[in-house]
Amino acid sequence: MSDVKKYDVCIIGGGITGTALGYFLCKLGKTSVAIFEKSYLSSGSTGRCAGGIRQQWSTRPNVKLAMRSVKLFETFAEDVGMDIEYKQGGYLVLSYSEQEAEQFEKNVKMQREEGLNVEILTPRQVSERYPYINTEGIVMATFCQTDGHANPHKAVIGYAQAIRRMGGHIYTHTEVKGVDILNGKVVGIDTSAGYFGCDAVVNATGPWSSEVSNLVGVNLPTESYRHQILVTEPLENFFPMMAISFSENFYMRQTLHGQFILGQGDKDEKPGINYNVTYRFEKELASKMVKIFPFLKNIRIIRHWSGMYNMSPDAQPIIGQSKEIKGYYYAVGYSGHGFMVAPAVGEALAMTIVFGRSLHTDISYLDLTRFEGTEIEREKNVV
Amino acid sequence: MVRHLRALIVGSGPAGLTGAIAIAEALGDGKDILIVDEGIEPGGQLPKQTHKFFGHEGFYASVRGFEIGNLLVKKVKSLRVEILQQTTVTGIYEDVITLYDRANNIVHECTSDYILIATGATEKFLTFKNNTLPGVYGAGAVQTLMNQYKVLPGQSFLIVGAGNIGLIVAYQLVQAGAVVKAIVEASSRIGGYAVHANKIRRLGIPILLKHTILEAVGDNKVQGAVVAEVDERFRPIEGTEKEFIVDSICLAVGLQPNIELVAQTGAKIVYIPELGGFIPWRDENMRTSVRNVFVAGDLSGIEEATTAMIEGYIAGYNIAQDLTGTSQEEKISKMKEELSEFRKGPFSKKVREGLAKLNIRFPEGGYREELQNDSGPKGKLRAVIECPQPIPCNPCETSCPTGAINVGGNINGIPHIDYEKCIGCGICVTKCPGLAIFVIQEKSDHSIVGIPYELLPIPSKGDKVDLLDRNGKYVSDGEVDHVMLNNKGKTHVVFLKVPKGLEESIRSFRYAKKSEAFICRCEELTREEIERTIEMGITDYEELRRVLRIGMGPCGGKTCRSLALQILAEKTGRSISDIELGAYRPPTIPTPFEAIVKFNDGIESSSGGVKNE
Repeated sequence: MSDVKKYDVCIIGGGITGTALGYFLCKLGKTSVAIFEKSYLSSGSTGRCAGGIRQQWSTRPNVKLAMRSVKLFETFAEDVGMDIEYKQGGYLVLSYSEQEAEQFEKNVKMQREEGLNVEILTPRQVSERYPYINTEGIVMATFCQTDGHANPHKAVIGYAQAIRRMGGHIYTHTEVKGVDILNGKVVGIDTSAGYFGCDAVVNATGPWSSEVSNLVGVNLPTESYRHQILVTEPLENFFPMMAISFSENFYMRQTLHGQFILGQGDKDEKPGINYNVTYRFEKELASKMVKIFPFLKNIRIIRHWSGMYNMSPDAQPIIGQSKEIKGYYYAVGYSGHGFMVAPAVGEALAMTIVFGRSLHTDISYLDLTRFEGTEIEREKNVV
Repeated sequence: MVRHLRALIVGSGPAGLTGAIAIAEALGDGKDILIVDEGIEPGGQLPKQTHKFFGHEGFYASVRGFEIGNLLVKKVKSLRVEILQQTTVTGIYEDVITLYDRANNIVHECTSDYILIATGATEKFLTFKNNTLPGVYGAGAVQTLMNQYKVLPGQSFLIVGAGNIGLIVAYQLVQAGAVVKAIVEASSRIGGYAVHANKIRRLGIPILLKHTILEAVGDNKVQGAVVAEVDERFRPIEGTEKEFIVDSICLAVGLQPNIELVAQTGAKIVYIPELGGFIPWRDENMRTSVRNVFVAGDLSGIEEATTAMIEGYIAGYNIAQDLTGTSQEEKISKMKEELSEFRKGPFSKKVREGLAKLNIRFPEGGYREELQNDSGPKGKLRAVIECPQPIPCNPCETSCPTGAINVGGNINGIPHIDYEKCIGCGICVTKCPGLAIFVIQEKSDHSIVGIPYELLPIPSKGDKVDLLDRNGKYVSDGEVDHVMLNNKGKTHVVFLKVPKGLEESIRSFRYAKKSEAFICRCEELTREEIERTIEMGITDYEELRRVLRIGMGPCGGKTCRSLALQILAEKTGRSISDIELGAYRPPTIPTPFEAIVKFNDGIESSSGGVKNE
């Protein structure tokens, strides 16, 4: 048994959550870390997402978590050593419903209490600031300048390179087939690259979270839903913000490279992993977006793909340590906003693993135990 | 109202500015001293000169021309000498001098006790077919547009004339990002300094001696130029024509003194070809045949900026001496000694001969002519100087912190290095206005060559480059070892790793031409960038795609995907069939939103699509 390779922490999943966690563990000195990715880095949800980074949430803990994350994104290039095309161009949240607008006013009050600088804009102000937006039907808008966007692939690669530099290991094209549990405690994992001993296993597998959790025998209430997204040819930069609407169901941003990335949700999607794309999506999105952003008319779509939202019952992530199996941690169920909170989650979870608790951001409210009660506060600000 | 001046200085080039400084310093202030200048900013040609000047540091050697202009103007202003810009002296009449202020469209009148005329020179033009086509420029116009107005007048140039101006403009054009196809020179030798010519050759620009321009080609603007070889009487030799595809032709074929105003004063004009043709007669104090009219700079004989400055001082101190009645003899003779030092070299031969015709004698010689034939002890980090001509310049000597360099005899001497003292610090490399000093060191498995570098972008450690010889010819592949930045003087030293034995021949480098090796044409990615990314540990096609955007352009990877997979296979040693191909995503060609929206109402979503995953 002496030649069994052993790590303190084995992370399953080479997306933004797994690599952020690996990075912060190494930073805290816990460099006996390995990441197991069944395909290539960022092959799951991270590499398919739009890259928005938003702090305008409807629940207070989510605002706090996102604000911490933005702090970490601001120093990413310096700390992690990679330019991830981060731009704080703001998030313009457009509301097309009176009822939602009322909720927005409450949200903004709470967000401001948390120290977030959020503006409320009338449709006229929107049109003055962004003359290329057709404001027809808009009831109100909110804008937060420190929101922004970045390139998610580069963030994963940046974290991964930093982990390798600090001595952590990354196994790509390596599938985890089983988790070895002895006396209610994690002792190792079985992978396509062999068996590795460990003290802790972290499930950071996004779309596959509940299947992977079944390897440990712990039930996670998550389901994956397909979301489609497309990208256009590049234009010169003129659109600095992410424009998003929950009531009208869309989001769009321009990358620093100049391309527009846009998408919408589909309430008729059935749960289950599905990476196909539909032409119906292009037609629906195109006809809606050309009305709101008339300049899109002559721009060409060059690529259309899909990714998974790993949804939890309240559209908030599920992060914590299992009560049943010692050494089993999970960071899943991001419901479409895993990239933007990953630095703060990675930091908090790394501290939880190393020190037993998080010193910066309280993530205890995201524990699985919240579903044991009767009331669930659902996050409303999700496309 | 007629304004009365103590001294009027016409022209704010180096001679006019130093003349004004000398007068104002001796008089104690600049009251009633006026400089009138046609240009938009003072300094004459200085604001257009981005290269470092030769000479000695007392006269701003190693300082860039425009910075010398700024220093002199600052000095003039601190002495409260007034400068009128955009104003032309239109006449020196019997009663008054007229100053036409073009900006305000008004003519002012003045009289002056003394006049210092420093109107410089005009460019000579050349006769050839279609020489009025737009795109044919004088070198001065190119410098004005490029360095003063910051407009690059063309993208690809033929330069006519290999004197210092032609060579310098060629270098400045390359710095500004233009391509110089060739320099043609009708005579059988390069007129400018060898160090300037070497700088140009290292960039791979051919200098065609015994060649002239025959014709500018193009309908409405220059599209090309025909050149041909000439015989010893400068007649084109039939059958030797060559055509260059260029959009601009720059003429740098010499200067002639601007004597118009000085002639109006009644000063005697003489014809001395060695000094540029018709020039005002003057004595060794720069006084013309009219007692209160002085001249200095190129007007008194085509030469260069340092001697223009010295002549300005000599004229200025003489004017001050006349005005105050106090002797300025000490300062005057000091300046004359400086002038004498500068003019001892071979490049001043014509000037000496011309001045002799005015009975002004300057001695020659007294400087070292031998080249140093030893390049120092192998293995030691050390400087090597490639400055083969006696020219009046010595910043290498004066900047060396260990006193290892001396130019020998007077300022015209050829520099030698005492290798016992040289510590290889590279300071002389950053100072040398001719970019003629390099640093070399032989190591166990490679050698290091340090090269002065003034182009953008500034290289960084690890950059892969083509190593070039003294003629800009490719010799070998190499790599940037490190860069010694010189943010003040802006001559950086790039240290190259070169194969052993090439330290004596590598004197230049260039980045491998990007356009030759594009793998992904939409995103303009080269093989090298892809290989470097793979070396970082990015070994999946999909990862590469996400980091580099290879295949993410409008073509969707139609040509680059298979090439990238091949490179991945080569670099990782895997078989191409073992590498994941990556996803193929719709639409296969870019599709406008409008085309999708148009049919939105007409066609219902089909359920007959194919699922591919």
